[in-house]
Amino acid sequence: MDNDRELIHKLLDGGLPSDETAALMKRVNSDPDLLEEFTLLKEAVTVIEKSERKQASASFTSDVMRRLSSGAKAERKGWRNFFFGERIFRWNMAYAAAALLLAVLTAGGIYNFRSGGQIPYSALDKSAVTVKFNFYSPDAKSVSVAGDFNKWRTDAGVMRREEGGIWTIKIPLKPGAYNYMFVMNGDAWITDPEAAAYHDDGFGYKNSVVRVDKL
Amino acid sequence: MEIQRDEYALIKECVDGNAEAYAVLVDRYKDMIYNIAYRMLGDADTAHDMAQESFISAYAGLKKFKNDSKFSTWLYSIAVNKCRDHLRGKRPHVPIDEIAEVACSAANPEEGLQSRQMLDGIQNALNALPDNYREAIILKHIEGLDYKEMGTIIGIDAGTLKVRTHRGREMLKKLLKGTGVFDGQR
Repeated sequence: MDNDRELIHKLLDGGLPSDETAALMKRVNSDPDLLEEFTLLKEAVTVIEKSERKQASASFTSDVMRRLSSGAKAERKGWRNFFFGERIFRWNMAYAAAALLLAVLTAGGIYNFRSGGQIPYSALDKSAVTVKFNFYSPDAKSVSVAGDFNKWRTDAGVMRREEGGIWTIKIPLKPGAYNYMFVMNGDAWITDPEAAAYHDDGFGYKNSVVRVDKL
Repeated sequence: MEIQRDEYALIKECVDGNAEAYAVLVDRYKDMIYNIAYRMLGDADTAHDMAQESFISAYAGLKKFKNDSKFSTWLYSIAVNKCRDHLRGKRPHVPIDEIAEVACSAANPEEGLQSRQMLDGIQNALNALPDNYREAIILKHIEGLDYKEMGTIIGIDAGTLKVRTHRGREMLKKLLKGTGVFDGQR
């Protein structure tokens, strides 16, 4: 009986061979309970299979295409707004202070970058005076200035070549006296011939000296 | 095979940026997808929304469509997933003892098979099935698919789908018996 119920489902699946179908139907017709079982299942399937097929509305396709189109426009608009859309910024004192600090640090960074790099003096120091260093060498490939103000680093005060073979750099320095030398092509240490003063370095060379007075 | 080749060409046109080619595919399959959405959800407005969502999702994923399967099978699976997502958490579980009452309440034995109330009775019986039985019954007996294609759509093996279909039929038999739906077709 249980096996016949399984076969009934197999028949309704459409997977029962014709000879097995004939044998099954013979048993079904001779058993009232099995016949009722088969009849009800068959009717349930028939009702479902014959049920009305629902149809989409006449405007379905155009609705989908319109939604796709508006979605694409919204996406394009989104990108345009991201770059060009107006924004309202809400701020408080903390945001303002952070923005000011960022602006100051950025300005200082740009200044240092343009003046040759990592000079260990604050450009913001009110007492600092901008000192311009000049060195004449039309044949040099590179010139930098190294001294007390940049810990004698040869890569810090990189000078810019101007017309006529003059190399220059401006460095803000606090009042005081500083030893320095020019470094040509990365390895030739040269005393500034136009220095205001000189100082023995203890190794047989003379450092150039620049003195910065208070304003 | 001719239809499939035509569809692959249309899909390529869509992927290449010709959105209008997609309108041909939507028009071809809108009734199929709307019908399955309606049978799964039992509500015309929600079915309309889910069917549209299915086509919009399909368009967005056209580049992922592999030509080794039928476009209709792929669309079916998108629609079934959309309906499942919608149903998940939406409908309270109906105890099996109450299911027959739900089906009975909408069917009137005095009227014929094609009457509105009788059709409502069939839909109510479908609605009363557990979701995984209902989708198996719909794909097998309304859409007329074989178990292999059903497995591709739902993502499970054919054996499990057979069990779900068999159990779904048994529940439908119980639900529809005594509602007058059977009398109407005799």
